[in-house]
Amino acid sequence: MNNSILKSALIALLLAGLLIVPRFVESPYALHMMILLFMSVAQGQSWNILGGYAGQHSVGHAAYFGVGAYTTMMLMHSKGVVPWVGVWAGVAAVIVVALIIGSICFRLRGPYFVLASIAVAEIMRLSAINLTPLTNGAEGILATEIPAFKIGATVITDFVTKVPFYYIGLFLVLLTLGVTYWVQHSKLGYFFQAIREDQDAAHSLGINIALYKNIGLVISAVLTSLAGSFYGIYVGFVDPPTVLGLDVSVQIMLICIIGGMGTIWGPVLGSLILVPLSEALRSNMITDLLVKIGMVNADSKIGLFLKENLSHAHVLLYGILVVLVILFMPDGLMGFVKKLALRRKREAV
Amino acid sequence: MAVFLQSLISGILIGGVYALIGIGLTLIFGVMRVINFAHGDILMVGMYLTYMIFTLLGIDPFVSVLITFPLMFLFGGALQKVFINRVLDALAQNQILLTIGLGLIMSNTVMLIFTSDYKILTTSYSSATIKVGGGVSVSTPLLISFLITAAITAALYWFLLKTDTGQAIRATAQDRDAAQLMGINVKRMSIIAFGLGSALAGTAGALISPTYYIFPQVGSVFTLKAFVITVLGGMGSVVGATLGGVLIGITESMSAVYISSGWKDVVVFVLFLLVLLFKPSGLMGKSRT
Repeated sequence: MNNSILKSALIALLLAGLLIVPRFVESPYALHMMILLFMSVAQGQSWNILGGYAGQHSVGHAAYFGVGAYTTMMLMHSKGVVPWVGVWAGVAAVIVVALIIGSICFRLRGPYFVLASIAVAEIMRLSAINLTPLTNGAEGILATEIPAFKIGATVITDFVTKVPFYYIGLFLVLLTLGVTYWVQHSKLGYFFQAIREDQDAAHSLGINIALYKNIGLVISAVLTSLAGSFYGIYVGFVDPPTVLGLDVSVQIMLICIIGGMGTIWGPVLGSLILVPLSEALRSNMITDLLVKIGMVNADSKIGLFLKENLSHAHVLLYGILVVLVILFMPDGLMGFVKKLALRRKREAV
Repeated sequence: MAVFLQSLISGILIGGVYALIGIGLTLIFGVMRVINFAHGDILMVGMYLTYMIFTLLGIDPFVSVLITFPLMFLFGGALQKVFINRVLDALAQNQILLTIGLGLIMSNTVMLIFTSDYKILTTSYSSATIKVGGGVSVSTPLLISFLITAAITAALYWFLLKTDTGQAIRATAQDRDAAQLMGINVKRMSIIAFGLGSALAGTAGALISPTYYIFPQVGSVFTLKAFVITVLGGMGSVVGATLGGVLIGITESMSAVYISSGWKDVVVFVLFLLVLLFKPSGLMGKSRT
């Protein structure tokens, strides 16, 4: 039996399943979870192209996420520009920003590049706080209502339910997956990987390092900006810490680190772990579970304390996860699984 | 003129504390080539430690430095032995991620214990000032903290220059392999360096606690500042970090006065990018090719 046909069939089946989910699932909460998952995959996959394939570990991706989200929201809020136009304005803005950042940061390597990427994202965050007439400062922008998506006079969707968001999210996932697949199998991807493995060797082989790093950055930034715009419209609110904060950059990177950098399925795997876990903490599911199995009394001091605080501490989990992953499986879950498979194969021989 | 002098003096005073933070980071980087992204969070732990000692035992924050310093030294040493030591040969990004993770654990554990409410440590002299003359006045807690900082920095220089352990640390920073061949216990030096770095950060936290809001996320501001300071001074250079700290302090207070307090951090980051671009080896660093 041909392995690759089986694989394609599986993927097609999965996709078909995902496409018809909203027909059967009506619970807005379930759809919300799926949308969060899609957003996370799209973010991780976007970072993966620059960080995983080209080896440029940016800790400043919040800059692109935030610029996308802010541009769309600002245009919608103050000029009444509909989001599906605003999104492309966001993309245009991000390309400009990315090229400026790239021309600064790519002269630096390793830890210096990481520091510079953080500094740039912080400058963006502080500017969003201070440019009050444009961004409404620290208060952020609240979109009370999203205009319906119309072509001519026909209303395609009015964004009242979560279903349109579900499909846009799914589209984003497919787009980022598709781009990643294309990068991995094109000459561009080989250039990226050559730069990742040994920059000087790649340079001596005639690869224009600055050019390809910038191409990687622009692809990655544009996709991140799309995810950012999607986030802004879906949540209906942006402010500097939630879309431009250092946490955002770290979370985007974590998706890939935990799943496995430089692999197509790594960010998917990372999201499948991170999103449900942090949601379980956020919605107090873990405390409820502890109460249910009788480990903690709901009205005791500990029970009340957990209920009060555990929901705020989902970032603690990120911290613990990242430490464990770096110490015990530095290539992420995908790398870990591959290593196990390899070992089994060797034992079989 | 009075405004200029005033902001210059405040800048130098706060710069002393920044220098302490920067020296800690640069020591760790020098000996282990690890960029410690948890540095600000270690400082935050120092702040909460001081706050606890103050509220539970009633010991003045400037006196409790004597307790905070050794405790934070042990804390840092333990961190190095348990976590950092395992990634010394790993890729730079993995080291960075590990310290980011450790920082997240610290800030969120503190948040679980103390909630994210802002805490204020009010001493009798928290808002006191001393008039210097010419319309210039100096905040008393800032002045005291500057004096303590100066004393600690002097003691640290003496330790690094004159004692055997200090020389061994400097040798390790210069060339890890050669130091090992000369019979220096490099692993022990790493633990001491991380301990010292953490103790300095914790002390800086203790010193600013009477004048600063105390909250779990306060660390990230200082982590970023610490990077700016060490890169400005030259990664690994203690003299550079001292100078860098004071320079950043002055830059901040000047731009707060002459531009706006909202933009002062932007000015600092722009300066940081300029240094990275045009003189990545910093003021005192040797250029590494």
